[in-house]
Amino acid sequence: MNSSTDVLILGAGVNGLSIAYELCKRGKKVVVAEKAEIGAGASGSCDDMILLQSKKPGILLEMALGSLELFRSLREELPCDIELDTKGGMILIEDEEQLSLMEGFVAGQKSCGLEVEIVGRSRVKALQPLVSESVIASTYSARDSQVNPLLLMKAFYLGASERGLRLLRGAAPVSIEPRAGGWATRLASGEEIESGAVVNAAGAWASQVCSLLGFELPIIPRKGQVMVTEQIPPIGATNVWSAKYIASKLKPVAARREAAGAAQTPEERYGLGFAFTSTHSGNYLVGSTRENAGFDKGTDPEALALIGRQVRRFFPVLANVNFIRSFAGFRPSTTDGMPVIGEVAGRPGFFVAAGHEGDGIALAPITGKLVADLVEGRTPGYDLEKLSPGRFLGAKGA
Amino acid sequence: MGSGDEKHICRCEEVSEDEIRAAIRSGARTVQEVKRWTRAGMGICQGRTCRRLVERMLCEELGLKPGEVEVSSFRQPVRPVSLKSFED
Ligand SMILES: Cc1cc2nc3c(=O)[nH]c(=O)nc-3n(C[C@H](O)[C@H](O)[C@H](O)COP(=O)(O)OP(=O)(O)OC[C@H]3O[C@@H](n4cnc5c(N)ncnc54)[C@H](O)[C@@H]3O)c2cc1C
Ligand code: FES
Repeated sequence: MNSSTDVLILGAGVNGLSIAYELCKRGKKVVVAEKAEIGAGASGSCDDMILLQSKKPGILLEMALGSLELFRSLREELPCDIELDTKGGMILIEDEEQLSLMEGFVAGQKSCGLEVEIVGRSRVKALQPLVSESVIASTYSARDSQVNPLLLMKAFYLGASERGLRLLRGAAPVSIEPRAGGWATRLASGEEIESGAVVNAAGAWASQVCSLLGFELPIIPRKGQVMVTEQIPPIGATNVWSAKYIASKLKPVAARREAAGAAQTPEERYGLGFAFTSTHSGNYLVGSTRENAGFDKGTDPEALALIGRQVRRFFPVLANVNFIRSFAGFRPSTTDGMPVIGEVAGRPGFFVAAGHEGDGIALAPITGKLVADLVEGRTPGYDLEKLSPGRFLGAKGA
Repeated sequence: MGSGDEKHICRCEEVSEDEIRAAIRSGARTVQEVKRWTRAGMGICQGRTCRRLVERMLCEELGLKPGEVEVSSFRQPVRPVSLKSFED
């Protein structure tokens, strides 16, 4: 069983499907080979935020702003609704130390063109009447948005299928070898697919795919546990996070403590940070942890209790609310906190698009465009030097 | 189960038989994919009532035998838990 195509994409998460959609739109013949099923990775087990405020000023914030523009046109052109919504976001500040951290952060983002400000107690109360008295200030950006990742994957899939996409489930590659003018990939089913280009969009598993070609990338799973509440009336005007969450995203407390030789609290061990976001259906997503726990997908009572206590501390009114489900997902995490997007030197036609950590939903549309540009040999509209696989592979490439 | 009737397969999320058949016809191939596309199984009972029905519809639509449809897993908590139960 042999077939040939222009581009073979490995992984049917939000990024693989966004790339597939964009390439199909440009008239390419595309096959997606997915190890399990659509959304089996992080994209089926995550929050729904297009969070601009959490991005460090620089290429990631620029890409997130670009992505938000793309989301607005995708909403019009994709074949099903993606529940795109702009409610704004707040990062809750509980003490002076967090306040000065966030002041610096906000100043940097403003200089990058993001509308964001620090608001005092009375504005906090107006936007979040039910928040705890312990919150002394907050950041606020009206532009933070959200999208339903499950519907986004469905929409990319349907849109690409209309343009000829072939999607294979249960189809992990067993070998990927160079061929004249491209690559030959053999799947577990025995089918061999020849393609001009291969795109590795396997999220936290991307390094496993690279190892078929004899090299590795420092992309590892960073587990996040999340709880889902029953459907409740809206709690406030915006979605919220804690300044502590941003701090742990920028630099995990656990790592800092470990370096200082101090014992960790359970919160630190789990990399606990507060994220509280509403969904269209009225369920709230309450999170989350950031753990290095390998590929263990279980949720555990200790972590869920920490998450539960934390949300009650910020919103005491939730004491009477039930949570109906919990889940864990694997953020594809890199050692420098930046995704890997680019062609691998010495392996012409082999591209990586993975390692988006906690931003992969927000960045999916722009990732689709950039990778399609790279595959077509066009110069993308961003300087991708900082994202290139080469930064991890040294001068001689893979 | 004739098509066209508005019977709810998933009562918690009010997902009709037609919506589930439409999802399968447009490409959903597993219980999880149907759940992610339609919300069937995401309600307060976590699919206890509707999961089997969705499996059966996948079999019917795709001409599969019961064992060939992947079963979805339950996630903690098995019953809804009040946040009150997390005492400090
Ligand atoms: C708790 C949590 C909350 C999050 N919240 C947000 C948020 O609010 N906003 C945001 O932007 N991002 C968020 N993220 C991050 C986001 O979920 C990820 O960055 C994004 O989903 C990554 O998408 P992906 O397509 O690159 O990878 P994945 O979705 O992981 O997809 C990779 C796919 O590759 C498949 N695969 C694996 N191995 C192989 C192989 N050998 N061959 C073929 N296929 C293979 C997998 O089965 C999987 O389907 C969150 C993540 C978590 C865990
Ligand atoms: S009947 Fe479908 S979730 Fe309860």
